[in-house]
Order: sequence, then structure tokens, then C-alpha cells
Amino acid sequence: MTTPTGQRMRQTLACTAAANAYQKQFGIDLKRRVVDEGEPFAIVQADTPHEIFHVMDIPIITNQWWSAYISAKQLSGRYFEVMAEHGYPENSCKYCSLGLACTLANDPKTAPWGGLPTPTVLVARLTCDCIQHVFGQWAEAMGTEFFAMEAPAWEHKDPRWFAHSNRDWDEIYQPDRIALMVSEMRDLITLLEKRTGRRFDEAKLHHLMERINEQEGYIWEANQALAKARPCPVSIGEQMSNTMIPQWHRGSDWAVNHARRFRDEVLDRIAQGQGAADDERIRLMWIGAGVWHDPGFYQALEERMGAVFVWSMYMPFAGPQYIRELKDRPMEALASRICSMNEVLHLPPWMNGWMESEAERCGLDAAVVLLPPDNRLSQSGTRLTALSLEQAGIPVLMIDADMVDAKNWDHDRMVTLVGNFLTEKGLA
Amino acid sequence: MIASVGTDLPLQVLRATGRYAGPLTWDIDRAFPLAGQWLESKFATWAFSILEDWAQGRFDALDAVVFTRSDDNAQRLYYYVCELRRRGLLRGPEPILFDVGFIGRATSAARTVASVRALASRFGVSDAAIEAELVRADAASVPAPAPAAGPACLLAGTPPPDERVSAMIAAAGFQPHGDTLEQLWARECPGVAVGTGDPCAAIGHRLHEWQPGPRGFFNRGAAVVQAARAVSAKAAVLWFVEEDEALVWHLPAQRRALAEAGIPTLALSRRSWRADDGLDAEITAFLKEVAA
Repeated sequence: MTTPTGQRMRQTLACTAAANAYQKQFGIDLKRRVVDEGEPFAIVQADTPHEIFHVMDIPIITNQWWSAYISAKQLSGRYFEVMAEHGYPENSCKYCSLGLACTLANDPKTAPWGGLPTPTVLVARLTCDCIQHVFGQWAEAMGTEFFAMEAPAWEHKDPRWFAHSNRDWDEIYQPDRIALMVSEMRDLITLLEKRTGRRFDEAKLHHLMERINEQEGYIWEANQALAKARPCPVSIGEQMSNTMIPQWHRGSDWAVNHARRFRDEVLDRIAQGQGAADDERIRLMWIGAGVWHDPGFYQALEERMGAVFVWSMYMPFAGPQYIRELKDRPMEALASRICSMNEVLHLPPWMNGWMESEAERCGLDAAVVLLPPDNRLSQSGTRLTALSLEQAGIPVLMIDADMVDAKNWDHDRMVTLVGNFLTEKGLA
Repeated sequence: MIASVGTDLPLQVLRATGRYAGPLTWDIDRAFPLAGQWLESKFATWAFSILEDWAQGRFDALDAVVFTRSDDNAQRLYYYVCELRRRGLLRGPEPILFDVGFIGRATSAARTVASVRALASRFGVSDAAIEAELVRADAASVPAPAPAAGPACLLAGTPPPDERVSAMIAAAGFQPHGDTLEQLWARECPGVAVGTGDPCAAIGHRLHEWQPGPRGFFNRGAAVVQAARAVSAKAAVLWFVEEDEALVWHLPAQRRALAEAGIPTLALSRRSWRADDGLDAEITAFLKEVAA
């Protein structure tokens, strides 16, 4: 993202262009609402209950989305310098702090949208050591409030959580943890109602949750078919776009319809025997955030070795972590979706239990793991997951690189590294 | 016997069991061949040492180890230990995670109180035993010792593993003031009310307010100046290690606050927790200049 490599992602689905076009228009509309019309809005982390804001029709800017937007404007390098100029060490977590850097730069001439106006609130779950400090300082710099949410201890450790989380979410995520998050969400709603004058309606949340179930059901259905299909019908780049863009708008008419369209296109390609690559011989798993600065990386070994990245977390996550039986308790169902969203991706036994199962379900031959050097949260759980996978017969390659900082990324060197690994393991 | 890992723990409850052995310790000046297979590079060095010792069977005599959730290293290490035990790669004591909340809302205070009760119940400690421990601690509390002679130097930032950094300050002719991690982990939550009839609630509410660890919500710029003034510091060393992902976010504010207070400061980041990267020479040069 810092310095795009120029290697582009191939697109095979018509819906991918539609998703990208929608997201571009969404950015324009969001700017109009927030900057031009001065609507109240919030800055939130990805693993917070966006549904509350959707129900109240309060625009949100997701920190991760804003970081990607900044990077797409080629500003991340400048903002890393700003952080250094303000005295922050260079190894500070880059994934979370680009938005703070943009605010600290205080340069409306170059900032995206001229910089953000003051939000009503910033919201984050405290899932790592840095986030409360970053969001606390960001809120202070913007002259507003930080609403933190706890990431409580999780004692019920079920390595096969994913097999029954849709239904048994009370048990899996622990009733006391769910109750805590519901209480926190009610405090957040009170704050939002007071500050914005907008009302929260639980009946609306119930409807939204049903629509989200429908949306995630399409994505999950497509993923289950994709896992069984040979060859893999869609690249992981297109899996990410068509899962994550609707995810930012989850439950909206557009998102539900788009998920259905994506499923239909995936099923259609499977029916026609079409693959993401021409000659699929090796099926690979990608563990970690996407390498946003080099989307072409994932397709680089297809022609030479028939090595296809089939799996990344984004699309299959829709099934176990989003779909919820509502049980007439939409707040609790929502809390169960959010209260462990980060933990299941970064802590044992949930992370390794799920990924080992996924490797088997999708018939994967090897895994490549991103190991960002400066971020404990992003690194977390990777070594034990590698151990699980290797014990299951899946060779693992760990790559030291950052998902948002291209400084230590060399496209050709990384492609060669993966190629050599596959050769050494006798897969190519 | 029971041991602990981290700050923000209800040590009064652990002491009331009659089986508390104190915090786990570390030896960081060695290699960690076993822990290095399981922990990623951004874990604190003490986490490597503790996991290495655990894997070597050095904690086998313990029944349980209580980890704090107030420190990201400690809470992640808890999950890793649980998983390694599940897989049969570790044996030894039962790991327990103490859930402490710091957010300034009633929900977090209630969570902390519930956690204290759950811990007491887990170890079968009665309210009467905890109350007796609170009374004993209250009677035993002594005022802080008078500062030693000589110019004072505040040591702040990442808590060092032991007295090695303080020794460097002392060798330069200054009186060091700053907690080691060992001291922080051993410190009992002060000021818990006695005679309330509900000692678990009293401890929980006080823990929720106390916040000595990396997750505390308070103005750390003002706090460092207050700490410096409390010992009439003539200089300050702000020292942060490579693996620090929490306190280091306050380096700019603390540096600014100390400058505004007129306290000469040596600010260092991305350093080795072993303090074996030329720190002694830098401290000596800095304090020599301050003394001149």
C-alpha cells in the first residue's frame, strides 16, 4: 500500500467491478454526508458492532477502511513520516495508526477529503496493547470522546467452535461475555441517542440481523461450493472484494443482493468448470491480512507452477462468525458475533482449530503465513497454527512482511521465496 | 502453591489462600529454544523466559498460575499455555486468567468485582479470610522511605527486568527512582477499604480504579512529571523496549511534559530489555552532562 508494485489483480467476475464501483460511490456519498452536510458520524474499528450505527442511520468510517483509503491516495509514506516527526518510534503499529497520523499531520490541502471533521465518537474493542492508546490520542486530537469496549477473558475453549457457532453461540462465546457486550452496546446506544438525537429501534435491529443472515448465507453457500470445486473458480482477491465490500454495508439491500449475485456467479463458473487459473496443480492457503500493496502477488505463481491461492480468512469467516440464529434475542446474537471476532482469528485454540479444519475442508496443499514484524496482534497465534497445520501434513511458509507497509516487500523476491518453498516441499 | 503473572491482580485473595508463592520470575540472559518455537517475536522477553521454564518443568511444583488480562503479553501467554497443555506439549500448573476491566464505566467495574469473586470461589477462600488479609495488609502498610542522598533521576517507560538499569544510573552518581517489572508484579493494590462486609467488592472496585499496568486510562504525561517531582528529580530517563506496544505511545507526550517541567530527559525507544545495547554509556554521558 505504501508503494504499489504495479502488479494488478486479474478479475474474472462481473460482480467484482460492480462491488468496486459501489464502494467508490459509497465513498463519495459518505464524504457528502459527513464533510459537506456535517452529519454526525463515528470512527470505528472493524470488530465493533457496526449494526448499531446502521440501525440508527449514523454514518461510520471504519479505521481499516480509512487506512486503505489513505494508502490508495499514496499518502501512507508521508503519514509514517509524520508519526516519526511527532516522536513516535518507527516500529509503532502501522495498521491502526494511519488515521491518527492523518489527523496529526493537520494538512487539509493534502489530506483525503481535506481531513475528517470531528466525529461524535470513536469506538474500539481493546483487543491489543496499542489500540486504546491510539484511539485515545486520536479522540483527544479530534476533540471528541473515545468509547472503549472490553475484550474480556474467554475461558470456554472449543477448538471446533466453528462447527456450531451459528446455533450454540450462548455456550461458545460464554453468557457472561455476551451479557457484558450487550451492556456496553446499550451504553453506546444511550451515548449516540444523546449526542445525535437519532433513535435506536430493536425491531429494526432484528430485521437487519435477519438480512445479514441472508447475506452471509449466500457467501457461505458460495464458499462451500468453492471448497469442493476443482479447479478453484475465483481468486482470493475477488473473494476478498466480494465478501468485504458487502461486509462494510452488511444487511443493506445492496449488500444482500450483491452477495446473492456473487454466489450465482461463483456457482455458474463451477458449473462451467472454469478456474481462477488455467492449470491448477497446487492449492494454497493464505493466513493473515491481505497484502494490499501487491495484489498481483497471489497470482504470480499460477502460470509457472500452477500454484493457486484458494483460501484466505475473509470469505469462509462469513459462515461461522456472522450467521446467527436470532432466538428472539438480536442484541445477544449481535454481541456473540462481535465479542470474539478478533480472538478467533488470533488466539489458540480457536485460530488453529479453525484453520486446520479449513485446510482439510478446502483440500489445501500448503500454507503461507504473513508475519508482520511490528505487530504482536497480527503475529499472534501464527506459530501454533503453523504447528497444527504441519502436524496435519500441511507444509507452512512464514513470510516476514507487513500488510500495509511495502518497505520490506519485494514482489519478485517474495514470489521466488514461495516458489522455492513449494519446490523444496516436493509440491512443484 | 499458586503463582501470578502480571500487575492488577487481587493479591490479597491469593495471599488469603495461604498458598501464594509470589509472581513468577525470569532469567532473560539465556536462549529460549522451546519457547522460541511457539511465541512470535513481539512477545516480551519475560514471556519467553516463563514459557521456557514452564516447558522445562521448573513450575511443576505449582498448582496454579494466575495471569492478568491487563497486559497483552500475559493474557496471550495464558492462551498459548492452555493450548500447549491441551496438545500435551506442556504439563505443570493450571493456568487461570483473571479478568480485570479498566474502562471507566460501571460495566467494567462490575466485571472486575465478579472476577474477584470467581477467583476467591475457585480457590475456596472465604470472605472472612480475605477480610483478615485486608486488615493485615492495612496494618502492615508503611510510609515510603525517605529519598536517599544525592541528585535523583527518574526511570520511566518500559519497566526493566531488574535493577540493571537503575545500577547504570547509580553508577553515574544519581539516585535512581523507578519500578522494575518484578516490583510492579509484586505490588498489592493499595487503599482497599476494610470492614465493608464485602471484601471482594472492595478489592474489585479498587482494582478497577488503580490501573498501574499498560492498559490504564490516565494522562501519562502529567503522571510522569508528578512522579519526577515527587522525588525532586534532576533528570529523567524514558526507556522503551522494542516489544513495547502500549506505553511507548505516550513517549511524545511524556517527553513534552518533562521538557515543559524543565527536567532534562534522555528518551530512548526500540531498546533491548536486556539493556545490553550500549545503554550504560548513553546514561553515563547524559547524566554527566546534567551534572555539569
